[in-house]
Amino acid sequence: MKKILLVIVLLVVSSLFVFAEGKKEAGANFPTKPITIIVYTKPGGLIDVTARKFTDIASKYTKATFVVENKPGAGGIVAMKYIMGGNNDGYTIMAATKSNIAKIVSTKADIDPMDLDWLAMLMADPECVITNKTLPINTWEDVVKDAKAKNGNQIWVGPAAGGLDHVVAMKIWKAFGISAKWVPFASGGKAMAALLGKQGVAYVGNPRDIAGKPDLKIAVISSPKRLKEFPDVPVFNEFGVKGLDNEVMWRGFVAKKGMPAGAKKWYDDLFKKVTADKDWRAFWEPYGIDVVYYPSAKFNEVVKKDYEDFKAYIK
Amino acid sequence: MDLLANLGNGFALIVGIPQITAIIAGVILGILAGAMPGLSPSMGVALLVPFTYKMHPSVALILLASIYIAANYGGSITAVTINTPGTPSAVVTSFDGYPLTRKGKPGLALGTSLIASTVGGIIGTIILIFFSIPLAKLAVKLHPAEYFALAMFGLTTVASLGGKNWAKAFVAAMLGLLINTIGIDPISGVSRFTFGFFRLYDGFSLIPALIGLFALSEVFLRLEEHKFARKVAPEAAFKKEVWPSVKEYWKLKFTILRSSIVGTLIGIFPGAGATIAAFLSYDITKRTSKKPETFGTGNPEGVAAAEAANSSSVGGALVPLLTLGIPGSATTAVLIGALMIHDLNPGPLLFKTNPDIVYSLFASLLVANFVMLVLGLWGSRLWVKVTKIPKNVLFPMIMTISIIGSFAVNYSFFDVASCIGFGVLGWILKKYGFPPAPIVLGIVLGKLAEENFRRAVIMGGYSVFFTRPASLIMLIVALLSFSYPLYKTYRERKRENEVASN
Repeated sequence: MKKILLVIVLLVVSSLFVFAEGKKEAGANFPTKPITIIVYTKPGGLIDVTARKFTDIASKYTKATFVVENKPGAGGIVAMKYIMGGNNDGYTIMAATKSNIAKIVSTKADIDPMDLDWLAMLMADPECVITNKTLPINTWEDVVKDAKAKNGNQIWVGPAAGGLDHVVAMKIWKAFGISAKWVPFASGGKAMAALLGKQGVAYVGNPRDIAGKPDLKIAVISSPKRLKEFPDVPVFNEFGVKGLDNEVMWRGFVAKKGMPAGAKKWYDDLFKKVTADKDWRAFWEPYGIDVVYYPSAKFNEVVKKDYEDFKAYIK
Repeated sequence: MDLLANLGNGFALIVGIPQITAIIAGVILGILAGAMPGLSPSMGVALLVPFTYKMHPSVALILLASIYIAANYGGSITAVTINTPGTPSAVVTSFDGYPLTRKGKPGLALGTSLIASTVGGIIGTIILIFFSIPLAKLAVKLHPAEYFALAMFGLTTVASLGGKNWAKAFVAAMLGLLINTIGIDPISGVSRFTFGFFRLYDGFSLIPALIGLFALSEVFLRLEEHKFARKVAPEAAFKKEVWPSVKEYWKLKFTILRSSIVGTLIGIFPGAGATIAAFLSYDITKRTSKKPETFGTGNPEGVAAAEAANSSSVGGALVPLLTLGIPGSATTAVLIGALMIHDLNPGPLLFKTNPDIVYSLFASLLVANFVMLVLGLWGSRLWVKVTKIPKNVLFPMIMTISIIGSFAVNYSFFDVASCIGFGVLGWILKKYGFPPAPIVLGIVLGKLAEENFRRAVIMGGYSVFFTRPASLIMLIVALLSFSYPLYKTYRERKRENEVASN
């Protein structure tokens, strides 16, 4: 039986290769072989969806073959180490998020993000505070008032301590002169379950988190001005607080330093086309996600600033 | 009734070549993934997710849900035939499944596992369809203190699992808890026992540990019996397969029903899952049985309890996913991604915006269970042949599959190495009479217990465990259920001593 099983497994695996090679066609200069996109989570996570949607849209503009490969582990450190240990020929890139930078800092991993080449930032997902509509305290004013009344005992739920959302929460508390308890859960989803169960008052996340969950609402969002997708949601500066207008979760691509100039130009061109594509925009924009195109120089600056920021907040 | 009309519509929607193909393909792939040590249900589903991105969302969901359902049954096949649980929850199935095989009755174990899985899967789905909304409301109300109490209750099963050997079972469970402390602290984010080695940041993965402790340790044990090819294995002694009769299945009706309800309920709580469901329902079945001493020696009730619970937990895990948009298990987390790429957001609104998708999923879950039954009945004749493979062919195969399986978890050689390490550990432990199952229990429950203990303390201080009635009651029950078997063993020993001294 094991033999039969093995044969079947081999058949399935080989059919995957057929599938992957099917679209192969010789390119002019770059690329001449399939490009591997490394995803740092298991299939099904938002970044996995991002990478696969990207290859889907990219296929409108290029005949290059993309292979999405999942290399999960240690919040992206496994994947980052993998690309750093590989070739810089441009055939391996990684889909990265701001969380990877937080992870490097919080785990004190021996990686300097500035040793990598941050190719392009493709989207900025605004951070926001999410509350439960069925609780009496659900507007931002009420959350602040309640936090002051509870004097440090208000409960905020969210994903792991030392992650992006936790750091954003700490920045918000500092700016508003309040304090609260951060109760970390194994995943954002489990933390949202706790918010739905009224075990906490606030959750820090992104607007997409409330999609399909009518009991949750966005109390306040980080943006210079109100978003057209959420016209009723206030932004931080409406409360007279400065410095919280640009807290975002970004997603983009990164590679090992030293990619050939031809390959880099090819990517720049592709990123430009994909980020301008209307299907790509229509997939993200309804959730308040800012679809952008930050070329390498600008993206590297963003990463550098975030790295310094995390180092200041995560001890 | 709206619900029944929608459900009828759901059945009408799945009558189509793509839908039926998706169910059949999903069940076959699920059984294979489940049976393959190293491919847990969540990984089986995850592997297929990329292929569903181009499918119609409804077909995609049907395919993935069918894999999920069938993988929980598939895990029992190897647990019964070669004592190598294909999935974490099938560890419990092996307690009585493998002894049945050794007694020459693999047919009875496989048949019971199939029927219990099917009935469990159906009951879980029915509960999902009719009671999901009130149950989901209950699930989110559960405070970390109650999760901690549930984890404690789960750990007490060690006392009854171990039987007279409870001290060794206890040591093994503690070992599992200790292994769990390796990795990044889930609450504060501090590295624990990682020695700066980044592969250890997530701790040891459960799957390679499981394969090592069960499959490889068995291979190592058998390697010690030289020339095992020449020995006539006890399994080869039986000539005709013993397949259970309907009457034998009927005897298990209460066990299956009770375990299915327990499994569904445990499945609903985000973070608990199929493995804990199987352990708890096995424990409950053993404790309420008139002949608890027959458990672990090949009692079909044990197989039925484990399999009904892990299969019904699928329906439970889908409750928070569909009604709240919150994944209750590793597999449902993967399903969310599969829905997201189609721009669908699971949650209560999905019932309104895309009722076709929700109700065709419900209908396909019911159908998938029957497809699994048919394929399983046909396949059991094949699975049972595994027990007849000569050992000198079988064990090298197990070794190979173990290594491939542990590599497949994260595509990492570190996992292969840790699998071999756990194999050696399991081999040493087995030689000295320590059961490996409590280690798995410790690894699975340790995380649940630790995280929720600390979360509860942050939220309400140490007294919270005693001031919340549900938590207090569960903790008291846990204490009783832990101490009673120990007390019983103590009394029996005392009586034996008295008899001996007289």
